Amino acid sequence: MTTLDIEPPQMAVLYALALLPLGLLQVIGLKLSRDILTSLLRMTVQLGLVGIYLKTLFALNDPALNSLWVLVMLVVADFSILKRAGLSRRHFFLTTFAAIAFSTVFVTLYLMVLVIQTPHFYDARYLVPLAGMVLGNCLQSTVIALERFYSSLRKNEQEYLTYLLLGATRWEAVRPYFLESIKAALSPTIASMSTMGLVSLPGMMTGQILGGSEPWLAVKYQIAIMVGIFTCTTLACLLSLKLSLNKAFNELDILKINKNSP
Amino acid sequence: MPPLIEFDRVTITAQDKTLLADISFTLNTGEKAAFHGKSGAGKSTVLKALLGLHTISQGKILFNGQPLTAPVIQTIRHDAIYISQEPILAAQTVQEALLLPFQFKAHSPHKPSRQRLVEMLARLDLPAHVLEQQTGCISGGEKQRVALARGLLMGKSLYLLDEVTSALDADSKQAVYNVCFQTETTLLSVAYDPEWLARCDTIYTLQQGQLVGIQHDYP
Repeated sequence: MTTLDIEPPQMAVLYALALLPLGLLQVIGLKLSRDILTSLLRMTVQLGLVGIYLKTLFALNDPALNSLWVLVMLVVADFSILKRAGLSRRHFFLTTFAAIAFSTVFVTLYLMVLVIQTPHFYDARYLVPLAGMVLGNCLQSTVIALERFYSSLRKNEQEYLTYLLLGATRWEAVRPYFLESIKAALSPTIASMSTMGLVSLPGMMTGQILGGSEPWLAVKYQIAIMVGIFTCTTLACLLSLKLSLNKAFNELDILKINKNSP
Repeated sequence: MPPLIEFDRVTITAQDKTLLADISFTLNTGEKAAFHGKSGAGKSTVLKALLGLHTISQGKILFNGQPLTAPVIQTIRHDAIYISQEPILAAQTVQEALLLPFQFKAHSPHKPSRQRLVEMLARLDLPAHVLEQQTGCISGGEKQRVALARGLLMGKSLYLLDEVTSALDADSKQAVYNVCFQTETTLLSVAYDPEWLARCDTIYTLQQGQLVGIQHDYP
């Protein structure tokens, strides 16, 4: 079974569908048209470029090129995490990069080599989408973990200092905020796993079914990716927080970083 | 033998404001001293500087003759009880607050029994049933005494106390005096309370970060 192509006239019909919400928003007086049109345009251009990249990447299937692609994804994700968490690149670029790179590469290779058993560990057809999905989810959670941890620490600075002055080591004093942030970061993934298939059919599974896969095969891949996402998210959150501690405090265990410092 | 604490021409500035200017004093083991002065004079800064919570701009602080390096500050934090004007109990109930330090590795071998908690509360004029109370529901004076009781349970001998009698009635103050002014205790405090000041060996008066008076016999 092959997937039915969407020809250019049908693509035009597809874009016409977006006119419906645009029109409705216009009627109720919500001035979002400009933002929506910009977003639609950006999405089209970005995905078009990705289509071109992927086509080339799949055709060449070169280990160095594929690894470079993953590296670019990791660097972009790192910048995005730090920007959204309001943390300085100067202090945290390397620690966050190490955390997400290790987690993503470890989980992706585990899935490819031990679970799916692809012919080559660098197979672009598997490496690119798997690493992308794992990293994309891990990015959201790492933002939550880092943002929650440092904002909580700033908000409760006096309480943190009280722990220190009562004999806690730095690790003992930050532990309550550490655990709270990890819990907040993992909650969406855990909730998503527990409602999967009930609330909605997951995107990857839907894609595979539309792409002609048997539902049972799509289910197995979906389970694999969810376990991978959960593992990668947990590893990345734990590592990014733990590695960041040495950069965030001075030798007297006082928080030295300021929010949004460059 | 060097003094336990020595401030040698210490200046501390923060955000272009001078908190302490050229302050010098010494405190020997067993001595009781108090800083007093108007609000914003820099009294609390003296205590916080010793704990490494302020960066020294000029001069030096010595503890047992050693400059205030990171390991020395860790030693002071380990050896001292610090209680601020509005102590943070950082726990749901009073019992949890008293036991908080004993969750940490440094104190975990010395976790006190409930009986010991009750005895410590009694020394500070607090009844046993306070143990079960929520820390959010007790008064400011009770909070100060619970914080002091927690410090005492850790068995420390250097007390850095910032206006710990400010919210207490006469009976409670008496209990706090009895606990804080024991011979073996070294005390560096911030105080307005005349009776507290009268019990101290030395009183330093601060004004806008400067040391403007030293009294050895408070009237």
